[in-house]
Amino acid sequence: MVSVTNVTKAFGDVVAVSDVSFTVGPGITALLGPNGAGKSTLFRMLCGLASPTRGTVRVLGRDARTDTDVRGMIGLAPQQDALFDRLDARQFVEIAATTHGVPDPSAAAARVLDIVELDPTDPKSVGAYSKGMRQRVKLAAALVNDPTVLILDEPLTGLDPVQRRRMIELFNRLGDGGKCVLVSSHVLDEVARLGSRVLVIAQGRLAAAGDYHALRDQMDDRPHRIRVVTDEPRRLAAALLQREVIDGVHVADGTVELNTSDVDGFGRQIAPVARELGVRLRGVRPIDDDLESVFRYLVERR
Amino acid sequence: MTSTGAGDSTDHAEILDRGYRRFDGRRSGVAGAMRSVAWHTTRSVLGLGRKARHKVFPVVVVVIAFLPAVIFIGLTLILGNDLFDGELVPEFWELPRNSIAATVLFVGLVAPEALVRDRRDGMLSLYLSTPLTRLTYLLSKIASVTGVLSIIVVAPTIMYLLGLTFASAGPDGFRDWMLALVRILVSGIAVSVLYALISLACSSVTDRRAFASVSVIMIMFGLLTIVDILIGSADGSEYLRLLDPINIPLEMSARIFGADGVYPEIATAPVYLANLGWFVVAASALWLRYRKAGA
Amino acid sequence: MTGTVAAPQAISVTYRVILRQLVTTGRVVGLGLIGVAVAVVGWAVGQSIESSASVRLENAVGVISLVAFTIVVPVVSLVFAAASLGDTREDGTLVYLWLRPMRRWTVVVGAWLAAVTVSLPLTVIPTVLTAMLLDVGSDLIVATIIASALGVLAYSALFVLLGLLVKNAIVWGLGYVIIWEGVVAAFGSSAAKVAIRGYTSSILTARTGVQLELGDLSQTVGIVVPALIAVGALVLAAVRLDRLEVA
Repeated sequence: MVSVTNVTKAFGDVVAVSDVSFTVGPGITALLGPNGAGKSTLFRMLCGLASPTRGTVRVLGRDARTDTDVRGMIGLAPQQDALFDRLDARQFVEIAATTHGVPDPSAAAARVLDIVELDPTDPKSVGAYSKGMRQRVKLAAALVNDPTVLILDEPLTGLDPVQRRRMIELFNRLGDGGKCVLVSSHVLDEVARLGSRVLVIAQGRLAAAGDYHALRDQMDDRPHRIRVVTDEPRRLAAALLQREVIDGVHVADGTVELNTSDVDGFGRQIAPVARELGVRLRGVRPIDDDLESVFRYLVERR
Repeated sequence: MTSTGAGDSTDHAEILDRGYRRFDGRRSGVAGAMRSVAWHTTRSVLGLGRKARHKVFPVVVVVIAFLPAVIFIGLTLILGNDLFDGELVPEFWELPRNSIAATVLFVGLVAPEALVRDRRDGMLSLYLSTPLTRLTYLLSKIASVTGVLSIIVVAPTIMYLLGLTFASAGPDGFRDWMLALVRILVSGIAVSVLYALISLACSSVTDRRAFASVSVIMIMFGLLTIVDILIGSADGSEYLRLLDPINIPLEMSARIFGADGVYPEIATAPVYLANLGWFVVAASALWLRYRKAGA
Repeated sequence: MTGTVAAPQAISVTYRVILRQLVTTGRVVGLGLIGVAVAVVGWAVGQSIESSASVRLENAVGVISLVAFTIVVPVVSLVFAAASLGDTREDGTLVYLWLRPMRRWTVVVGAWLAAVTVSLPLTVIPTVLTAMLLDVGSDLIVATIIASALGVLAYSALFVLLGLLVKNAIVWGLGYVIIWEGVVAAFGSSAAKVAIRGYTSSILTARTGVQLELGDLSQTVGIVVPALIAVGALVLAAVRLDRLEVA
């Protein structure tokens, strides 16, 4: 439904997105990357708000920058906080519906405001709304035209944990309903809960794409980091190094941090080696078996 | 990774001394704070340390301001002063009038830049949390805008004085020469202070730079135009000129040189009083606005 | 799916949103005060005891030309037109009008109409009031109505475009109004052809018979050219909006 082919975007000398290609189908896809990685730029190009310096971007096979009709099938919740501040939520979403040519904008607005759990009769102007409420107004405006492709730029920022959970449930429902839902985030914990398909972008390049767990498995060739707590860290580390089951070591105060590219070998050998040396093991714990470490590995190569 | 403390780090907590120290060196105090606000403001209005496109306008204005001095010095050097009996070239007090449109447009940009951004970005509250008070903050801003204006009001005239002297057409004798220099400095700085205060007061009404510019330009040019019309077409008294914030400081400048000025119908005392009035009105308006604004 | 929004609907929704954002108390009061000041000047000049009717007329036309067409009309138009799309671009709300199945020209026209809607009463009322207070007959009043309205339409289109071209559109616009239209155009009639003031002045001259600097074009030219300028500027604005990189 969304395809990005060899896309590069440069602002003067700064390359924001560099030779990125991927395709996204129905369901939720999370775009993960640190601040400034190029997530928003990529989203802006998807929507046609910016043109790629090189490469092509297609949404439903068409270019949103030139094709007027396809813009009606996209729902975008942009990253910036700006809204037409002098309207109330109902009016704002109604305007979004009207600009999309939705029949009966008023009913459509009430319906989506209900979905994002905002009161359609609230007379307050959105300028007076809190960050979390504004996020949900943006979301409602993005949903009002019942878009086929939903692009949500950092939609969970500013929400409290309960709202966050509800919105994640909502995204999942929309994805299960056959829509293409693209959600960007720099918060790992959110992405881990969003769903399994991940695009990781770092320094403008696509660092990984695919199922999060599968990605995790594919990275077995990278060094794993394990923390061992023991009474004689130096002797243990020396013995393990000698047997070539670990690649690197950092010793401090009863704790050894090990890098190994052979987790299984390490697992088999650590206990026998300790017994042999008469060293007591107080704890052996992998320190990077979560999304954060996957992320760090992909982004920072360490 | 944390490596302090022994045992299992999961149930170990410790607050570490991260080595914050008090600053024991000499503090520059209020004077230092004012200097740095004024310097920072000056840099920002002149576009120093910013991209070339921010420097375009200041450079154009400075060129326009110095152009008359250069031209008249050139004419004097080529043709000699005696040839025209001093009629061709302007008096010292007349020189800044040649670039007055550019000067006013310049204050229309400089004053909002100096003042409005701090309120809009919340910098004012930050400044007020330092040794600066509202008064010292405003004084630094006034000093900065006055200083920048002096570049286009005072500096060209001083150059003109030096140029004429070089062409042997300057004031005769050391005493007259020094008198001219003092008059140039006093009148030029007075004009700069007044324009600075008036434009800062106009800019203080809004939190948006663009509207502040509109307000400075509208009040200064608008009053000038209204006064022109009232005197020219509505048989208004010549004394209405005292309400013209562009010409009245310049007129005072002429009177400081002992000249009759452009509006000889107005006596000298009212000119000084009107300038004092503008000074008081603008300063009070600015102060009233800032007494409560911001933090 | 809904398809492209029909032009009248797209224009009207843009118009409503932009109008709502443009009308702030500060702007209306500030610019209203300028109008009041202008009317007071008109009254003062109208009260003056000038015997000769031709001199009175000449004075009056001069006043209108100066206050209405060098200050009120361009400045009021500038403040609202430059803000119409320019502000949405600056604050990031343009995306809510841009990423929509609406043709670009409908957004530009909607924004322009909104700017014109606010600017017209804030210019035509005070300038016509001034013309009436000047008390020199209906020719000047009619000329003022035509020239003010036409001026607002043309300047607004020009400044909608400017708001899409540069960041500090109001500051650039002031520079244009004061330096270009005020100073450069005063040098001669060929320069006046590229200043809207040349055309509004021509309408005044043609209607009242009072010669004005810059006022030497025929009334037809004075009406047709500003209209063409408006259309041209709106077309360019639509093209510019289409090519814009939106935040």
